[in-house]
Amino acid sequence: MCGIAVLFSYGSSAPAAGAGEIEAITERMRPRGPDAGGTWISSDQRVALGARRLAIIDLTDEGTQPMTDVEGELRIVFNGEIYNYRELRARLERLGARFHSTTDTEVLLQLYRHDGAAMVELLRGMFAFAIWDPRTRRMFVARDPYGIKPLYIADDGQTFRAASTVKALLAGGHIGRGLDPAGLAGFWLMGSVPEPHTIFQSIRAVEAGTSFFVGEQGTHDARRYYSIAAALKRGAEDVAAARLVQPHVLLRELVTDSLRHHLVSDVPVGAFLSSGIDSTALVAMAADAMGQPPRTVTLRFDEFRNSNSDESPLAGRFARELGSDHVTRLVTRDEFEADLPGLFDAMDQPTIDGTNTWFVSKAAAERRLKVAISGLGGDELFGSYPSFRDLPRIVRASRLPFATAALSRLARNPKAGAVARYGSTWAGAYLLKRGLFLPDDLPSLMGAEAAREGLERLAVIEHIGHTIEPDPGTSFGRVAALEASLYMRNQLLRDTDWASMAHSLEVRTPLVDATLLRQIAPLLMVEKQRCKHHFAESPRNPLPAWLSKRKKTGFGVPLIEWMQLKPDGTSTRMRSWARIVMEQWR
Amino acid sequence: MRILHVGTDSFGGYGGIALYNRELIAALASHPSVEEVVVVPRIIVDALEPLPEKVTFVTGAARGMLAYLNALRTAKGRFDLVVCAHVNLLPIVRLITKHPLLMLYGIEAWKPLRDPLSNRLLRDVRGIVSISDITRERFSGWSHYNGPSIILPNSIRAEWYGLRPKNLGLIKRYGLEGKRVLMTLGRVVAAERYKGFDEVLDILPELDDDISYVIAGGGNDVPRLKSKAARLGVSDRVVFTGIFAEAEKADLYNLTDVYVMPSRGEGFGFVFLEALACGAPVIASCLDGGREAVRHGQLGQLVDPTSPAEIRVAILDALAAAGERRIPEGLDFFSYANFERRTHAIIDALGANG
Repeated sequence: MCGIAVLFSYGSSAPAAGAGEIEAITERMRPRGPDAGGTWISSDQRVALGARRLAIIDLTDEGTQPMTDVEGELRIVFNGEIYNYRELRARLERLGARFHSTTDTEVLLQLYRHDGAAMVELLRGMFAFAIWDPRTRRMFVARDPYGIKPLYIADDGQTFRAASTVKALLAGGHIGRGLDPAGLAGFWLMGSVPEPHTIFQSIRAVEAGTSFFVGEQGTHDARRYYSIAAALKRGAEDVAAARLVQPHVLLRELVTDSLRHHLVSDVPVGAFLSSGIDSTALVAMAADAMGQPPRTVTLRFDEFRNSNSDESPLAGRFARELGSDHVTRLVTRDEFEADLPGLFDAMDQPTIDGTNTWFVSKAAAERRLKVAISGLGGDELFGSYPSFRDLPRIVRASRLPFATAALSRLARNPKAGAVARYGSTWAGAYLLKRGLFLPDDLPSLMGAEAAREGLERLAVIEHIGHTIEPDPGTSFGRVAALEASLYMRNQLLRDTDWASMAHSLEVRTPLVDATLLRQIAPLLMVEKQRCKHHFAESPRNPLPAWLSKRKKTGFGVPLIEWMQLKPDGTSTRMRSWARIVMEQWR
Repeated sequence: MRILHVGTDSFGGYGGIALYNRELIAALASHPSVEEVVVVPRIIVDALEPLPEKVTFVTGAARGMLAYLNALRTAKGRFDLVVCAHVNLLPIVRLITKHPLLMLYGIEAWKPLRDPLSNRLLRDVRGIVSISDITRERFSGWSHYNGPSIILPNSIRAEWYGLRPKNLGLIKRYGLEGKRVLMTLGRVVAAERYKGFDEVLDILPELDDDISYVIAGGGNDVPRLKSKAARLGVSDRVVFTGIFAEAEKADLYNLTDVYVMPSRGEGFGFVFLEALACGAPVIASCLDGGREAVRHGQLGQLVDPTSPAEIRVAILDALAAAGERRIPEGLDFFSYANFERRTHAIIDALGANG
């Protein structure tokens, strides 16, 4: 896990790639990689690479980046983990490749040398990297299938710039700070900025599951090598494969395989623990796989005491019964207020989420953990969000002639009036369900002209609709693709990245794994929401009923109490929090 | 020691389970403390192979259900060990003993049995012998069986196969002159789409035109696969052999440049051993018993059958590495001598445990 930076002065009139800029960008990412850092500038000063390193695999100096291959030609900066690097390395060695380290980083270099751009389809992991190939004078850039690891770029037509965070790119001092109306509109609509937009006009996100080259003519079109919707569609066409094995046994096999890959590390791996099925089943299966339970961390808030939102009693009981070295960490309002400036500073783009991950990562780091596994992604995979139930209902109801009347029961909801307008398509229904504000609210939030421009460029319905192309073919598949490609990618994963990296903690998500999704998709299509129940049965000792039968709660923090948030007219409280967050970007 | 083997088919049978049973019966019979192995077959479809010493084969049992039950009734109470050679036979074997040694092969044991009685009888078996670890794990995952269990993988009589010159008659028959040949061998039936034919077909358009794919076997899914090959524009590069003579099998393997079977339903995958015994490089699945047949990558490449990229790269790597054909030394792990030794160890263990 690292922070990476790239400058490529590809244009003939571009200024040289400067040491000052690459160092400034890299330095802004120091918390992402406190263990080491470095920069490299090509002899012709057209290319500069920078990296901060959080050493997790091969702790020696051999793992320092920017890294070159044994041939001394290719150079790489890489953020993330390649979980199947040992298998890939074994193959490459059979093919004659040589290595100077035991890192996954170097495997990427040799894989590129052997397989070129097709290499990305062989990777299992979370990653964002750039490889400079002086033989062709091209930069190869790629990001992982789900978008776990971030990568942002800016291209002014002469110089290509990239970094792991938006704020790092700005720290280089050569990028404009004008806000992007499309990014702004996206934030107000969804509670986070939907990629490829960012909150700044001159910066874009590299889209998840894409790769591209930058050559002396500029940035080439990106190639999409992975699509969540396509993986689900294929699963729907292949359901016979899921019927061969008992669901909980198949889940055990496939999730354990994912876990084993995610446990590859040269430092201890801990785990976030709540009282939900995803994290408890994952921790139990990690204990099965490791032979002993990982160290675990749970948050506790006095504001939640004696309520269903307090996860600490059940999580503590589970940890005791499993025998894990467990800590329940109390977070108070005073601590929240003290941390808030640092939290906003670390928040890379506006978001209404991330506070929970900030504190649980802080607690894990206090336990001297560098790596923690998280059950993030289980709700998207196993269909446990209310949206899996509600979206099909909204779409069905909206297509009926008496839809508006039938939906008038929702009149107390601020979005009720828009049901007839948006509810008849999956994308529109998703906006209704997940949206923070609706398009008609935007002029009052960001000004009429900016709202018009932002909505036009964002084209939110089309944007949402793209995530279910190709059509996964079932309601379950569509909602799963929507949730994983939008809410999880733009909010949960992005927030997890900045909030954990601020504490120099790498969070690994075994349930957010493109290989697992491919393998498990047929089962998801057959079992749908029942998968959650099967998952609870998957550990060698299935989860006890007091956990598996418990009503689902979110992983929340008492923001409402801490910030004394009040509903704003008909608005929800999270709308009030969004206004506070947005103040940081004005 | 006297052993009763109650199975579906063995001598005079066809297919993988029959072959496995023949080897098992021979290995049981060769144990010094075994006086007799009585074999009660349910099905005989072909001429009997020569019977090993000490084996009594109750040919009449295969005449029908009544004859089968009568043969078992006659056998009752006279044996130290009863081998139930198929999980579906548990209720019948219960007529003789409550505590048989149960054999498990593959998908028949991966989900609860249709018959609730069988599911109950599992609790009392004397032990489990599974062809692979994945079958044992999948079986115990639903049955919660936690009694004695052991892995007894297939054996291969490598001397029946071996390196041979390419059979020019077959090359001509299948139009494979100048082609590099991929092959998958198995029943081509709709109920067994887990073999991986589709997965190889899907990537064929991305491979060079001189690469042909031989689907060796027949069945009711051939028309669908032919249509698919046409839709993908690779009809001229896919050969459907249909059902072929057993005597041609080794020649077919010897035509093969890469044996590839990215399957998801193999309990073990004996075909991998056959291909290896003919010197063909093999590509097996990491998601079923195929991974054990190639010893987790020692004898062949492993791929995720859900990843077209992995399958494509594995094929290209294998073709690029193609040189002189050779039978890997590690194949000896599955020699009949080792199979016999493992079988004798099972008998010894059962004897020690009463």
